[in-house]
Amino acid sequence: MPKLKIDLEVNNRKISKETDAHKRLLDFLRDDLNLTGTKEGCGAGECGTCSVFVDGKLVKSCLMPVAKASGAKIETIEGLADPGSLTPMQKAFHKTGASQCGYCIPGMVMAATSALRENPKADIEEIKERLGGNICRCTGYTKIFEAVELAKAVIAGDMPEEALNEEEVGKSYIGHNVRRLDAPSKVSGRLRYAADMKMHDMLQMQVLRSPHPHAKIVSIDTSEAEAMDGVVCVITSDDVPEQTDGFGVFVHDQPIMARGKVRHVGEAVAAVAAEDLVIARKALSKIKVVYEELPGVYDPEDAMKKGAAVVHDYAPDNIVKHIPVRKGDVDTGFANADLILEDEFSTQQVEHAYLEPEAGIAYVDADDVVVVISPSQNITHHRHMLSHILGLPINKVRFIMSPVGGGFGGKEDMIYQGMLAVVAMKTHRPVQLNFTREESIIASAKRHPSRTHYKMGLKWNGEITAIQFSMISDGGAYGMSSEGVMRKAAILSCGPYEVHNLSVDTTAVYTNNTPSGAFRTFGGMQAQFATESMMDMAAEALGMDPFEIRRINMMKIGSKTHTQHKLTAASLDRCLDAAETESRWEKGTPNVRGDKRSDLGGDDTRAPCTLGARFTNGKNTNEERVA
Amino acid sequence: MLTCDTYHLPTTLRSALELWSKAPEGSRLVSGATDILPWAREGRAGDVHIPSFVDVTRVAEFEGHSVAHGRIRLGANVVYQDFLTDGVLKHLLPCMPYCAIWFADDQIREQATLAGNLANASPVADGTPAVAALNGVVELARLENGEIKTRNFTVSDFILGPGRTVLQSGEIISSVSLDALAGYGGSFQKVGQRRSLVISIACCAALVKADSTGRVFDDVRLALGGVGPRPIRLNAVESRLRGEKISRRTINSAAQLAADEVASRSRQEYRRSVVIGFVKAGIEEALENQSDVDVKFEELENA
Amino acid sequence: MERKLRGRGMAASWYGIARTATIDRAGAWAELDDGGTAKIVTGVTEIGEGILTLLAQVAADELGIKPSEVTIGDNDTARSPEAAHAGATRQTYMIGNSVHLAAREAKKHLFEQLADHWGVEIDSLQSFDGEVWSNDSNLRITMEEAVVICKARGVVPVGSASFTAHGTGLDPVDGSGSPWQTYVFGTQVAEVEVDTYTGEVQVLGIWAVHDVGRAINPRGVEGQIEGGVVQGLGQALMEDYQTVNGHTSTHGFAKYILPTSLDIPQINCTLVEDHDPLSPLGAKGIGEPALVPTAPAIMNAIYDAIGVRMKSLPATPEKILEALNKKTHGREHYVSAAREQRAQAHRG
Repeated sequence: MPKLKIDLEVNNRKISKETDAHKRLLDFLRDDLNLTGTKEGCGAGECGTCSVFVDGKLVKSCLMPVAKASGAKIETIEGLADPGSLTPMQKAFHKTGASQCGYCIPGMVMAATSALRENPKADIEEIKERLGGNICRCTGYTKIFEAVELAKAVIAGDMPEEALNEEEVGKSYIGHNVRRLDAPSKVSGRLRYAADMKMHDMLQMQVLRSPHPHAKIVSIDTSEAEAMDGVVCVITSDDVPEQTDGFGVFVHDQPIMARGKVRHVGEAVAAVAAEDLVIARKALSKIKVVYEELPGVYDPEDAMKKGAAVVHDYAPDNIVKHIPVRKGDVDTGFANADLILEDEFSTQQVEHAYLEPEAGIAYVDADDVVVVISPSQNITHHRHMLSHILGLPINKVRFIMSPVGGGFGGKEDMIYQGMLAVVAMKTHRPVQLNFTREESIIASAKRHPSRTHYKMGLKWNGEITAIQFSMISDGGAYGMSSEGVMRKAAILSCGPYEVHNLSVDTTAVYTNNTPSGAFRTFGGMQAQFATESMMDMAAEALGMDPFEIRRINMMKIGSKTHTQHKLTAASLDRCLDAAETESRWEKGTPNVRGDKRSDLGGDDTRAPCTLGARFTNGKNTNEERVA
Repeated sequence: MLTCDTYHLPTTLRSALELWSKAPEGSRLVSGATDILPWAREGRAGDVHIPSFVDVTRVAEFEGHSVAHGRIRLGANVVYQDFLTDGVLKHLLPCMPYCAIWFADDQIREQATLAGNLANASPVADGTPAVAALNGVVELARLENGEIKTRNFTVSDFILGPGRTVLQSGEIISSVSLDALAGYGGSFQKVGQRRSLVISIACCAALVKADSTGRVFDDVRLALGGVGPRPIRLNAVESRLRGEKISRRTINSAAQLAADEVASRSRQEYRRSVVIGFVKAGIEEALENQSDVDVKFEELENA
Repeated sequence: MERKLRGRGMAASWYGIARTATIDRAGAWAELDDGGTAKIVTGVTEIGEGILTLLAQVAADELGIKPSEVTIGDNDTARSPEAAHAGATRQTYMIGNSVHLAAREAKKHLFEQLADHWGVEIDSLQSFDGEVWSNDSNLRITMEEAVVICKARGVVPVGSASFTAHGTGLDPVDGSGSPWQTYVFGTQVAEVEVDTYTGEVQVLGIWAVHDVGRAINPRGVEGQIEGGVVQGLGQALMEDYQTVNGHTSTHGFAKYILPTSLDIPQINCTLVEDHDPLSPLGAKGIGEPALVPTAPAIMNAIYDAIGVRMKSLPATPEKILEALNKKTHGREHYVSAAREQRAQAHRG
């Protein structure tokens, strides 16, 4: 590989090194200098996890070819404070609870540090602007802002340094705002995630993924790839025992690598393990796969039609799971209704977008235990499945959870750990796989999209008499968590209301789209989006306040849920009351009152963002806008 | 993934031109380089091998700016962040701070050059309409028989189509010259699904000068981006407004005129809808931002 | 029409805690260690929600030491007992309670030795923040000293526990069953501003009220609510993973739009504590419930502002402007139908 020599200064240390010509500053810092605090969340300049100071200016190091940094002074997260110390900004992040998974945090601390260096007096609007290039998926930014404002006050001397210390405990540690144990390791960039780990003699893996949504695999010729210098092995489904191959959460319908056919774009077909990443990637292009494209199904309703292409032989109707819930008699309920509303709602497929792309390492230890290190959300289940697939006793498979840079359900599926284990067993060398962001998006599960048909009957006094709820969801190419998602969606469907007559059906369907799987709320938000929209539409039709109609129908102690579970506790009344009070809600029916209401624009809202805070001196205040 | 063989950082224009004219096929000229790495990824160009990079960010002749005869000449290495931090640029180019603050984010602005943005010639670039409104002229340098020669193009002539410019092989953008419009009010409208790191669907750069009474339009400049391959100077709208009394009525009819012009160029319903509002808001905000004059709308005066 | 129009909307929600329609379980080990510190080992999956800190608080509270003195072991199938997965808003409930019970057992062994050593009733012993004392006497020592005493007597104070949540399966025909032993409720209110020139929506305020049973770490709970709300906002307004015939057009974050710091509302959290009677801690959970009502609250607020009912997510500027431009009297349909039915009922 072509090399270049680079001279620069990193964290006050003079560096003179030879490195690969193609590297980005990010790679040089992480691979050559072992400064792994700076992360690669996306590699395309969109997320900010790679932010470093170059000659005093904050830049995104994933966008900087390393040669561009020659002669420059670089400051990374590791260089902000002396070893063992934390800067006031880092302490502030710790104090306010601004770090959750921590993956965005080094970049965020850098952006916050830069903001106050550029303008120590920056107001909150300017602070937000200066953090605008850094994405956080866990915290909702709120406590990050709090941290920056706290740091600003302490640095300016407006608040004492003690403000950064932990709060004194009262009578109990329960109910106390104990600072996060893992925050110091995260704000300093010292915590190592799977992609930051290095093992001696480690191989790099890359995965060949299907370009087709539905196709037979006619043949795979790996010979040219295997013959390449630096390639140690190439694996396909031939390397996985056929009888036991198959993983999944509810149904084990997914092979470690495609077997016989591919079912979605991005499915793993083969994997290469090589001495370095560049060789591994080059080897992918040498693997010859002959596909025979098959007709595919891309819409769940099409997939359910007679004659539609079948995604999995075991499910000729392409249904992953259908969950019915029935209570009372909906026909009678609708017959007794004074008002009937009927409508359709839809939600989209949503990407988890955890800042840490999937990554992992596998090796076989001296006791022949296959060890897999990865940010898995369910190592118990993964170990169980993998040992079964590989035909190993369960205690000869070990899963270690590496720190997780965000999960939300997207790291529950065992979509790459099997390949790592197979290579580790074949080579008896440690092997690492780091997903690119694009790979993560295309290969990992999404939140189920939904199409819901909703019919609701109510009496004039606002009581719901009947609900008919029917939701169809594109489950994509593999089952993953679809069964559970449909079940939860069905159970929660009609909302926190006592409905005596209901008919609920949720159905997940196989298609050749990117699979849908577990994602925060597991069907709960799709279903309740429809319900809560209907409730407001009903409130308008009945001339009621939206809180009022919900109170009339809400579940109480003794209510039976939609699955006829008698509740021994219920707190919706308290939640509604508190929400009404805290938001200073002005009562009234939701018939487009926006221009008439008087509860808008309070101190507990923010000013609309019009950009330019740093040069418009806070022109656009709340008062001006509401007037 | 991007791989390459050599990376050059010439420090003079001559050496940059020499390297660039001799660069092997497939080589790239970069300044900020903020577009090339995102491009060489799955879903876009995929794995790309670039034999040689010629990086012009150390070229001495590309630094800084100079003012003469009502025009400001920006060296090719002026980055977007400079429009927010350099007092001279803020003073002389009143729409640029608003354009720049909408451009990507702080980190990317520190690296991304205006020249590079123009060279990419993306139909959704933010810089091109602002430069068009400022009567921007792009200067291209080349080596001819050992001599450095230049040629100039207005930004509309410079861009041929999406991703295509008049740049010939061996040519490098050496500067961008713009009208120095101290005393004007500027604004920039952009629509996006969020407030940062937005790739716009449509945008509008506006510059206005109310006369000393604050009642009459001395000058109006309006340019749209995202509607067609090149930025559109709304010449007819500008002519309609120049010399007119400043009033909501006049501004509204100007906005309608703009929408009609756009309708003929773009079938996208959304862009058409958005343009009316943008032109209106663009002019009104630019008037607000003209700091040395108290603007007086005719309707309020007559009320 | 004014350029910027504001409105408010609300939505209620409910959710179940721990694994659905099945029996859930989690195990934990606890040891009171030298120096009055503690080791807790359990299959905890910290994914950023703050469970490690919460467990340290739970253990510290039960044992009577400081959270900073608790070390939580790594999650490793070869080293820690099964506590299953991070998901289903189950970790506080399942692992929190099993750690609480394991710590209780470890403390019991220590207290047995100490009670005997001091000659007091075991029930008279208490511990907090690193100190142990007997209510029946003046005896008071540090936890460090107590551990020395216990070990000198040949006992290592260890404990273990398994916590169970009883859910039942659902009937295959009518879905009846008790999928969880604990439910949570919530309500959110949203205030938005809609730009009628562009269709862009800014969410200016969210008031989020959630029943969490018991807030072990209130700031941590708020952090989860804030994160959930912003994810809800993202789905409501801008995120859209798109495929055409199985091929995606949203390859990366340039096309898949996520909320930035400039897009988030002021988030006002209120925690309701309706203690769970079926578990020792009384805490429930927040991870997923936090994001359920956000999108409908925002859509209801958009309707309040501009009279357009967005029934398809995401409600992008393009979709909103299109709906605004061809605003039919859709909402009138329900209102007049209702009026007509009401009129008929009165006449009849």
